[in-house]
Amino acid sequence: MTPAISVTDLTRRYRDHTALDGIDIAIGGGTITGLLGRNGAGKTTLLRILAGHEFPSSGSVRVLGAPPAENEDVLRRLAFVREDQVYPDIKVGQALRAASWFHPNWDFELASALLDDFGLRADKAVKKLSRGQRSALGITIAMAARAEVTLFDEPYAGLDAVARQVFYDRLLADFARFPRTVVLSTHLIDEAAALLESVIVIDRGRLVLNAATDVLRGLATRVSGPCLAVDSLAEGRPVWERRRLGSQASIVMVGPLSAHDRERARSCGLDLTPLSLQQIVVRAAAGVLAPVPIRVPETGFEAGFETDRTGA
Amino acid sequence: MNTWIKVARYHLVGPASYLMLAWILPFSFAVGAVTAGRARGHDAAGYLASFFIYFAVLGVRTIGRSLPFSLTLGASRRSFYCGTALLGMALALACGLVLTALQAVERATGGWGLSVRFFRVPYLLDGPWPATWLTSAVGLFALFVYGMWCGIVYSRWGLLGTLAFIAMQALVVAAGVVVVTFDHWHLWSAAGGSLVGLTGLGLTGVIAALTVLLLAGGHATIRRVTV
Amino acid sequence: MQEMAGLAEGSALFVQVAERLAGQIADGGLAEGERVPSTNELAVFYRINPATAAKGINVLADDGLLEKRRGIGMFVATGARRRLLARRRGEFTRRYVEPLLTEAARLGIGTGELFALIKEAGDERESVSL
Repeated sequence: MTPAISVTDLTRRYRDHTALDGIDIAIGGGTITGLLGRNGAGKTTLLRILAGHEFPSSGSVRVLGAPPAENEDVLRRLAFVREDQVYPDIKVGQALRAASWFHPNWDFELASALLDDFGLRADKAVKKLSRGQRSALGITIAMAARAEVTLFDEPYAGLDAVARQVFYDRLLADFARFPRTVVLSTHLIDEAAALLESVIVIDRGRLVLNAATDVLRGLATRVSGPCLAVDSLAEGRPVWERRRLGSQASIVMVGPLSAHDRERARSCGLDLTPLSLQQIVVRAAAGVLAPVPIRVPETGFEAGFETDRTGA
Repeated sequence: MNTWIKVARYHLVGPASYLMLAWILPFSFAVGAVTAGRARGHDAAGYLASFFIYFAVLGVRTIGRSLPFSLTLGASRRSFYCGTALLGMALALACGLVLTALQAVERATGGWGLSVRFFRVPYLLDGPWPATWLTSAVGLFALFVYGMWCGIVYSRWGLLGTLAFIAMQALVVAAGVVVVTFDHWHLWSAAGGSLVGLTGLGLTGVIAALTVLLLAGGHATIRRVTV
Repeated sequence: MQEMAGLAEGSALFVQVAERLAGQIADGGLAEGERVPSTNELAVFYRINPATAAKGINVLADDGLLEKRRGIGMFVATGARRRLLARRRGEFTRRYVEPLLTEAARLGIGTGELFALIKEAGDERESVSL
C-alpha cells in the first residue's frame, strides 16, 4: 500500500536558517500520527508544506500520491488547522458554509454538534472570537470536512482542559467511524499519547525519532534500588541516565524487559517503572537518540559492581 | 461546482465590503451635488473617481483578508486568483451597467434638474451607452486587478517590497516619458499624435491591453506567495 | 494527562487492553458466546487509538480466546473462561506467593509466622462476610 504521506529528503531553507533538513517520512493511511518536538523544531513548516501552504527548497513531498502544492486534486481531500489562521470579515456560520463548498465530504450535523460542544455561536463574527474560540472554529472546520488527510498544527491554543477533552473524544469517535490519516502536532504529549499510533519527533529541522507508540511504550524502564542490584540488572545494556544517592541508584535502561529480568528485579527488591511516551519523546527531542547508551564515568560504581560479582 | 466559482462565492459570503459599493455612489453623488448646487452647472464628475478607486481597494482586500483562509479551505493560488478576477470582472460589468443607466437618467433629466455633470465624464464617459458601459467596466476591472497585484506584492515582500513595486512603476512611466521626449522626437510625435488622436474608446482599448498585462503580472506573482 | 479509563501510560496499551478483556472473561463479566465490544467501542471507552484496540483484541483472538463471526463481530470462545482460570492458577505461585515470600523474608517473617498471618486474615474476612 502506498503511504498517504511520503516525504523524501525534504529541506526548507530560509535566508537565515534551515527550518527542515533532509526529512524522510512515510505515514500510512488510516493512522493518527503525533508530530512532536520543541518550539521552533520545524513542525509547523513541515505541516505547511504538506498542506501546500509553503514550498520545499528541495526534496519531494507526496500527499495521497502527488505533490500537494497548487494541486487541487490533493487539496480538496485535505484539511489543515493552522495556529495563526487569518479569517476574512465573516461570521462563524459563514466560515462553515464556505468550508462546506470546498470539502466534498462535509458533514453539517457534525459541524453543528461541534459548535454546541465548544459553545460557539454561528452568528458571532470571527474577529470577535477569543483565542480559544478561534481554535475551536479551526477544529470544527477540519473535523467536519472529513478529509482523507487531516493536519492539526497545535490546534488547541487557548482551549481549556475540558474543551481539549471534547476535541480528543470527538476526534476518536469520528475517526473510528470514518478512518482517515491524521497528523497532530502538539506539545501536550501526555494528553494526546493514547490517541497516537505512531510518533514523529523532529528537532532543529532534523528527524530524530519515527516509531510506533506501542514500540516506544516499554522501550525504556527506570530501575531503582540498591546500587549493586541495579547495576547487575543493567549489565551490558544501554543506559540513558544514571543517578546515585548513597547506596541507592536509579537508572533508565533501554530495551524490553524479559520475564526473567522482572523476576530478578523482584527478587532483588528493585523498583521498575516504565517510562511514559512523553518521557521518551523528551529524551529523543533533547538529542538522546533512541538506544544510544550514555556512559557516566564513575569509577567507584564500576569497582563495586566487580566486587559484587566476585562475591556472588 | 468549479473552484473559480467557489472562490467567487467565498468572497461574497461575508458581503460587507461589497455592500459598501452601493453606499459609495450615493454618498459621493450627494457630496458632488451639494458642491455643484452651490455653483450651478459645476462639473462634479471628479467625485465619481472615488467609486473607481474603491475598486482598487477591493482588489487589495481580496488578497490580505481572504487569501489565507481560502488556501486553508483547499483552493489553489491559481484558482483563487482566477476566481477573484472573475468576481472582479462580474462586479465591474454590473457596476458599469449601473453607471451607464444613471448616466442615461442624468442626460434625460438635464443633470438631475441642476445641470450637474456627475455621470458624464468629459472625453471618457460621454459617448453612447455601450461605450460608457464598456469603458467604465474596463476601467473598474483594471483598478481591481491592479489592487490585487499590489495586495499580492505586499503579502510576498511586505511594505518595502510594495513601495519598491510602486516606485518601479513610477520609474517606468518617467523613463518612458524621458525616452520619448528627448531621444526619439519622431516617436514623440508619433506617440503624442496617437494619444491626441485616441478616442475614448481607443483609450479603453489601451487600458484593456494594460489590464491583460496586470492580470499576467499578478498571476505570476501569486504562484509562489505564502501566507 | 488524559484519562484512559484506567489504562496506564508506560507499557504497550494493546497489551493492557487484552489483559482487561481477559480479566473480564475470567471474572465472568463477559460470558462465553457473548459479543466482545467492537474495536471502535473499546477505542471510545478507553480513549485510545482504534488500531491499538484492534491489536488488543487480536492478541486474544490469536490465543483462541475470542472467535470471529463474519460480519457480526468477535465473541468469547467456548472454554475461554476455563482456560484463563487454569492459566491464572498456574501463575498464582509466581505472581503472588513468591513476592509474598520475598517481602516476608525481607521483614524477617518466618514461614510459620506467615501461615499464622494468612490464617488470621482469612478468618477475619470470613467473619466480615458473615
